[in-house]
Amino acid sequence: MGNLGRREKRLLLSPTVILLLLFTLFPFVFTLALVFGRVSFTGGRIAIQFAGISNWVRLFHDQRFWNAVFVTIKIVFIAVFVEYCIGLILALLLYKRPFGCGFFRVLYIIPMLLTPIAVGYTWRMILDVARGPITGILQRIGLQPIGWLVDPKIALYSIIITDIWQWTPFMFLLLYAGLEAIPKEYLEAADVDGATAWRKFLYVIMPLLAPPSIAALLLRSIECFKIVDVIYIMTGGGPGQATESLTLFGYNVGFRAFDLAYGATIAFSLFFMVLIAAMFFTVLTRSLRAIKLE
Amino acid sequence: MKRYLIIAGTYAVLIFWALVVIAPLFWLITTSFKEKLDVYLGPKFIPWVDFTPTSRWWIRIFTVEQAALLKPYANSLIVGLSSAFLSTFLGLMAAYALTRFRFHFGFMRNEDILFWIVSQRIMPPIIVVFAIFIMYQTLGLLDTHIGLILVYTVFNLPLSVWILANFLGQIPPSIEEAALVDGASPITILFRVVIPMLFPSLTATFLLCFVFAWNEFLFALILTYSRAQTMPILIASQHFQRGPQWWDISALATLAVLPPVAITIGLQRYFIRGLIPVGK
Repeated sequence: MGNLGRREKRLLLSPTVILLLLFTLFPFVFTLALVFGRVSFTGGRIAIQFAGISNWVRLFHDQRFWNAVFVTIKIVFIAVFVEYCIGLILALLLYKRPFGCGFFRVLYIIPMLLTPIAVGYTWRMILDVARGPITGILQRIGLQPIGWLVDPKIALYSIIITDIWQWTPFMFLLLYAGLEAIPKEYLEAADVDGATAWRKFLYVIMPLLAPPSIAALLLRSIECFKIVDVIYIMTGGGPGQATESLTLFGYNVGFRAFDLAYGATIAFSLFFMVLIAAMFFTVLTRSLRAIKLE
Repeated sequence: MKRYLIIAGTYAVLIFWALVVIAPLFWLITTSFKEKLDVYLGPKFIPWVDFTPTSRWWIRIFTVEQAALLKPYANSLIVGLSSAFLSTFLGLMAAYALTRFRFHFGFMRNEDILFWIVSQRIMPPIIVVFAIFIMYQTLGLLDTHIGLILVYTVFNLPLSVWILANFLGQIPPSIEEAALVDGASPITILFRVVIPMLFPSLTATFLLCFVFAWNEFLFALILTYSRAQTMPILIASQHFQRGPQWWDISALATLAVLPPVAITIGLQRYFIRGLIPVGK
């Protein structure tokens, strides 16, 4: 059907392309202009003046920016790693189809699609130092309550725990689907050769699970870099700036302090980080393919 | 003996994680049935043992505070359903075009166009929200349903194009070619042949787009303030206004997570069966 309906085939594709250009490419270019500019509101109209690299100089000297960078990276590294490990364990356990497999599978997926604000609110209650259930349990067994959300050293881990609760299902789902895609003959062949469960896991399952693992890690990392809603409701970035992620920092500067140009600069730095992460995983996939071909 | 130990270990882990998943939801739902004192006087766990449940807050949400609390719920539904419909429909059109026709836009071929569309998902929303905010302010689209619907449609399009292109790629084009020989136009084929065949995946895509729009926070926070406020914004603002008055907000949060839970249970078959194509 390659050369039929030239006008019609354009008609099918153009709404998507136009909308994407209008809502992602145009704003992206506009933000690029903001990054090198200064915004002023005169008589209800917005004016942008060229300001060179002053926004970037300010950014690199901003302690609060570096804090937000480290907060974001720490959340991504710890949360994504733990989510992968738990997701893998659960997927392997359910792969053997124990009794009740269907029930566990649905249950394990549920947190992933829940409204993050509601999830954050629920964990905000659970980790509350005065009236929360964890404090209650600790006191009943005679331990000191933990300041989950008020102690600057612990607050970040509370955010990470919440992220792990919500997003382990995503890892579980992708790894489970990856396991299902492994041809049964491979495992049967390993059985015939008398391989132990551990060796089967190490030499048959893991190599075959590498591509879906990288895809899962990539997608999850990219999403995790953007973390904001859970932090917004659980700690608001506090105590102090102990849990302020880059997106929250950009929001606070851009829409609370209404410094649009500087907020856009912060947002742009986040874009670079996500881009580097995406490139890292792409290179990883390529080199894996190269190994396979050899 | 060793076999039984393995089975016991498996179930210990499985049941442990099941409890981890259930416990927060249990806390959320039971809190919405607690009296003020049961919240203020430290944690109460088991209904009818530790505390007597009350339906007071639920009744209040649906009567006295109905106007203030249920309007954002309606907004979320309107915005979620409209944007999910649009992104599924436009996504289907684009996916169909990309899997059935050949395109040349300069150096870009079909795979490049598909990659460009899907890669838009990588972009952090905070980058584009500054420009969209200024654009909406100029066009008068701030705090309107249409404004939010457009943004959510665009941000779900990459997902919908990706899923549907994968499904369309698996369907052999021979059936459509037969219709073409019979003289049907591509648009007719799309509506009469492709949509009926693809109905289950279209439903799954629609529901998934709906959930993402339903859950979205950052755009709603920046682009709405009163009339078009959605459910997540209501929960956040109530939380900051009322502090530790957990009962009402727990009821609201329970209402907010209800549709996603129902959809997850309904969708779980599709999730495993290739909503997410593995290894691509």
